[in-house]
Amino acid sequence: METILKASLAGGTRRNRERTVRVRNPITREILEAVRSRGLDSGGISMLPGEGCRPDATAWAVLALTAARFDSRDDGLIESSRSRLAAGQQKDGRISISASNPEAFWPTPLAVLAWGGSPEHAAAQSRAVNFLLSISGKHWDKVSDSPLAHDTSLRGWSWTEETHSWVEPTSMALLALKATGHGNHERVTEGVRMLLDRQLPSGGWNYGNTFVYGRELHPQPDMTGAALTALVGLVQEKQLKRSLEYLKERVSRLHTPRSLGWAVLGLGAWQSRPKNSDGWIMDCVKRQERYGTYDTTLLSLLLLAWMADQGFAFLHPADKGKL
Amino acid sequence: MKRFSIETQPVPCLTRRQFMRGALGGMLAGTFIPMLENCTRRNRHAEAFIARVGSYEADIASVVLSGLRELKVGVEEIRGKRILLKPNLIEPHRGAEHINTHPLVLRGIAEALLQMGARNILVAEGTGHNRDTLLVMEESGLGEVLREDRIPFLDLNYETSYSVKNAGGHTRISTFTLPLALRQADWIVSVAKMKTHHWAGVTLSMKNLFGVMPGIYYGFPKNLFHWEGIDKSILDITATVRPHFAIVDGIVGMEGDGPIMGEPRKAGVLVMGRNLPAVDATSARIMGIDPCKIAYLAAASGWLGTIRETDIHQRGEAIASVRTDFALVEKIEAQRGLRLA
Repeated sequence: METILKASLAGGTRRNRERTVRVRNPITREILEAVRSRGLDSGGISMLPGEGCRPDATAWAVLALTAARFDSRDDGLIESSRSRLAAGQQKDGRISISASNPEAFWPTPLAVLAWGGSPEHAAAQSRAVNFLLSISGKHWDKVSDSPLAHDTSLRGWSWTEETHSWVEPTSMALLALKATGHGNHERVTEGVRMLLDRQLPSGGWNYGNTFVYGRELHPQPDMTGAALTALVGLVQEKQLKRSLEYLKERVSRLHTPRSLGWAVLGLGAWQSRPKNSDGWIMDCVKRQERYGTYDTTLLSLLLLAWMADQGFAFLHPADKGKL
Repeated sequence: MKRFSIETQPVPCLTRRQFMRGALGGMLAGTFIPMLENCTRRNRHAEAFIARVGSYEADIASVVLSGLRELKVGVEEIRGKRILLKPNLIEPHRGAEHINTHPLVLRGIAEALLQMGARNILVAEGTGHNRDTLLVMEESGLGEVLREDRIPFLDLNYETSYSVKNAGGHTRISTFTLPLALRQADWIVSVAKMKTHHWAGVTLSMKNLFGVMPGIYYGFPKNLFHWEGIDKSILDITATVRPHFAIVDGIVGMEGDGPIMGEPRKAGVLVMGRNLPAVDATSARIMGIDPCKIAYLAAASGWLGTIRETDIHQRGEAIASVRTDFALVEKIEAQRGLRLA
């Protein structure tokens, strides 16, 4: 017992040391500076310099700032950003992309994650969770001669109101619900079934269609990474074997922030973070010279991939066991 | 530049109820009576230019200049204008030149318009299935071409937007949220790919406009439009966006199970014109497909333009000389019975 405890403490110390090294790396500082510079006096964070507040940018930035938190320097920005998200929450608990587009509620699970660990925003988080548990898109009984192969009756989450369930919003909702202790809820169970049903037989996920008129569609690395990240703790690794193989093979050829960020997170979530990840991420940050300035979502995603070696689990250490 | 405007057009040939019956009930029942009626009516005239282009290595800029000249798009119309080119970008597969609008077509168009004095060129797209537009750009080869030519790209999925009334009225959507770049552009060109489509029959310059609708408001895929009806959504978006010009890349198109999983089909043409329904109808005929049997084209005729062959002044090559029948898949409902006699 004592040996196990010592090993565990040694592991924890090593992890803390590694974390400190990462936080102090110039890449972390570069991303953090960029994200901080988009903080708005009125609260919240913009997607690009000079723009207005966007809830998705704000939530992603809070996650990144939290992940790389070293001292209290960013605490004010984190809290004001969380409050800005709460100020934009609608009565039913949703967070929409803009006030004039309430039907586009896909930022809701992001806000739930961003409010994690903040007692001040527990009520807002709870309302958002209730919204997620209550909302479901359009689903219908699977028809035998349908051109779509997936089980259309399984409820996940949609991007916008009154539409079908798709992979990314379902993955984000699962992450949010797990992080708030709802990992055993029936909607989570059904959402997991939905994601497994949308997994491509050859491995990986795309936006959410498997076969159309008998042809298997192509996987996408970002969607595969998001689904793998979400499914940690909910399914057995053997159920994802082909998807992990697909992403391990694909990741070395990814140079763009969204795909690379999610791929590293997804593989890391299953203890398969590629050895070269750090180099790829650093190279990807430098590629802004080629692609132009990354938006806040992309920078935050890269920072999360940089900091995390186990997907999203580090954001909510207390939930690690439950997840 | 005169945009086509619903206020100045003849009364639509199809009432909303007729269109609904034709597009949904009619198609399911295998009858196209309202659409055929529409095809036989006399509509406004339009012009379409067909150019034979053997490969993507050809001098596409010269071809485009010839087409613009034939279609009476003068220097005075282009000089000093901010031009937005809207390609069809779907999947990130290098070498799969039958899926996306080819980068060299965009290069040729940009070169031609800059020669005519355009103030600047912007390529803008909001991919429908992929959130990672940079990946699509990189792996399709478009990024490399645009960087070499110093042409900026705008991701319409994430662009600042504005609200505008739905000018079509076929769907239940009262207002659309559109990217600000559309309002800022002086001249919008739909640069589509010549493809069959498993939900819409064909995807050409009108269907290509789904890509201007921002994913952050409409999702990935833009599923709301599927629920509202693809045909009706195509009409509403076209009526609202009102592009000034269309160019269809049929040098290598896609047949069969388009828009992604089909096979390459070389038609060796570029088709262009001011009137989108006319350009699409001409493209469909080149593909050996009867445009009158494509629900949204039939419904657009007499309203957004014309698809009637005798009302379209064909310039350049004759349709018959370049006709290349694209394979249709019998089990795909939207492609059944489309073959041109």
